[in-house]
Amino acid sequence: MPSVTLRGIVKRYSDVTAADGFELTVNDREYLCLLGPTGAGKTTALRVIAGLTVPDEGTVLFDGKDVTSLEPEKRNAVLLSQTYSLFPTMTVADNVLFGPDIRKVSEGDKEQMLVSLLDLVRLTSRAESYPRELSGGMQQRCALARAIATSPDVLLLDEPLRALDARLRIDLRRELKSLARTLGLTVVHVTHDQDEALMMADRIAVMRAGRIVQVGTPEEVFNEPASPFVANFVGQSNFFTGTVVCSGPDGAMVEDHLGRRVKARPTDVPEGQKAVLAIKVGHTHILKREAASLHGRIERMLFEGRVVHVDVDVEGVGRFSSKVPLSYHGRYRVGDEVGIGWNRNKAKIFPYPEGGLQNELRVD
Amino acid sequence: MPLVELKGVSKRFGKVVASSNIDLRIEDGEYVTILGPSGCGKTTLIRMIAGILEPSEGQVLIGGRDMDGVPIEERDIGYVFQNIALFPHLNVLENVSYGPIAKDAGQEEQRTVPAQYLGLVNLLDRMKMFPSALSGGEQQKVALARALASGARILLLDEPLSALDARVRMDLRYELRRITKDLGLTVLHVTHDQEEAMTVSDRIVLMRRGRIVESNTPEMMYRAPKELFTANFIGETNLLDGVVVASGDERTLVELRDGSVMGAQPGRFEPGDAVVISVRPECVRVADDGLSAVVRSMSFMGTYIRITAEAESEDILGFDVRVPRGRDFNIGDHVHLGWSMESALVYPRPPGGIAEAVKLE
Repeated sequence: MPSVTLRGIVKRYSDVTAADGFELTVNDREYLCLLGPTGAGKTTALRVIAGLTVPDEGTVLFDGKDVTSLEPEKRNAVLLSQTYSLFPTMTVADNVLFGPDIRKVSEGDKEQMLVSLLDLVRLTSRAESYPRELSGGMQQRCALARAIATSPDVLLLDEPLRALDARLRIDLRRELKSLARTLGLTVVHVTHDQDEALMMADRIAVMRAGRIVQVGTPEEVFNEPASPFVANFVGQSNFFTGTVVCSGPDGAMVEDHLGRRVKARPTDVPEGQKAVLAIKVGHTHILKREAASLHGRIERMLFEGRVVHVDVDVEGVGRFSSKVPLSYHGRYRVGDEVGIGWNRNKAKIFPYPEGGLQNELRVD
Repeated sequence: MPLVELKGVSKRFGKVVASSNIDLRIEDGEYVTILGPSGCGKTTLIRMIAGILEPSEGQVLIGGRDMDGVPIEERDIGYVFQNIALFPHLNVLENVSYGPIAKDAGQEEQRTVPAQYLGLVNLLDRMKMFPSALSGGEQQKVALARALASGARILLLDEPLSALDARVRMDLRYELRRITKDLGLTVLHVTHDQEEAMTVSDRIVLMRRGRIVESNTPEMMYRAPKELFTANFIGETNLLDGVVVASGDERTLVELRDGSVMGAQPGRFEPGDAVVISVRPECVRVADDGLSAVVRSMSFMGTYIRITAEAESEDILGFDVRVPRGRDFNIGDHVHLGWSMESALVYPRPPGGIAEAVKLE
């Protein structure tokens, strides 16, 4: 199986730059998720790898070989689109065996291939069904079997779970990942869903406005975000704007216009510079009022199942959110005056974004 | 008196039964989500309330009045569809003004009402733009403002967020609840997303195969689901096969397939009853003794790590550990798993098997 490398890929459509210099390497047998909001250029990246979109600039390498001008069918990369595009007049079996490469295969080999593929995607009992008789999840698996039947080296998945029910999606994440691993495929999977990316990816490439803004393991992207946007898009963050003060090897602080100081891990942002501190909602704790330097009033509490989402209105800052375990439910009420705090090592300081914080955090 | 009431409502399309003998009462000002997998009949249900579909049997009442033969425009209903349906040739303000104008509201109202609702969805600055220039989230907010501007007291939302990105969806669901609660509207919101249902609603009505499985507050649906299907559909859970060995007022003791005996909440069981234990991943802990299992996979989930383990009882269990602790575990490790008795629920083992009872499609 090959590695895939994108170098300086640029693609412009009349007034939109869909790819603004992609640099990315997907390792052999790696499961990589391209994560970003709509319009980030995720699908463009996938189509460039597949050879369905020709870039204006840059090169595509498979295992170090330049394939930029190679036709899609010679790349051995198969793209599974969001809509599956199964043939409605063909049975599951015929759909799976449709691939151009398979048509040259002997009858006996075809039969064997069909049996093993249907078993893999658990559709053996539905071989003679038509797509319209299948549920969304089954259609998805059928399309996957058809894609795998062409023995690709690289599997490109464009929002493969998007059309499915939320609950089913959670179950299929695991299945899809283990299937790819079993077959030893190199996979590039496009999604806008951060949970899906965290759960499935070996590495995540976070994209925005035609650029790849960070590439790393789920832990790196979550714990060491490269920008306030990443901090907020992967795992939702609270932000505190002010000036860097007391910066040292043990940590730094940010002081706002009201003189309140909050702590963070050490930073390269120099003292005196305008900055924004980001702390993950999941790392933000509700404390007793006296125990914290930041105070506010609980404005709403939303039950989310395993946790309760608490929004606190902090004077002069706005909303800070926290997730408290279900077992804490009842300890706090809407209207309570509380403190807010966090472990200093979980908070990161960024230079204040040029276009303003709100613009930096925009997701659509 | 409930504002909306369904009495014995059924709907058949040829041989397919989309709704089967539905009884439902929705109070004035209540936010109710109709939740269920694709094809469970949830959209059929709200279409009958809207008057887009006629029930094959039973009655739909709004404000105590039988709606048989009453068209949608006379039902006091605003409707927001899954696929954003704005007029593409009208700008945002004109789209939102459509209701008041169609209704022949006074000049003053035609001018002030649309602006009021655009303010509510924070889109006053987009007033002169056309739908094609807006993001998906903004378009759906305009659709909401348009439905609200019609002045209806009942709002029907058919998967209003499912066409949007996960992140936009999260932000918008809070807005939906805030706005409708501020206006005191009665809302019926159809969704297949259990997280969405939990965060927005006063009450969830869970449907499956044309029937209501269970209806309760989000918290009760999560903490004390009456049905196995609910336990699995709303939040994730581990389901373990076993046989009751002792049943009392304090607890139920269940023997799993490997002979280990685990505790769970009390219930009306007799020793020898075939049962299923349901315990949520966040309630399973690594203990000194308990169910022995082998770690099979680990996923970093941000603030916690989800570990999947295969128990000697042949059950697969997911459990969550905090990130720093998660580093102590490796694939292939032997662990012992346990849980508090209060966190484990017991259900009679379904005659058709567990898989069939919780099947999503």
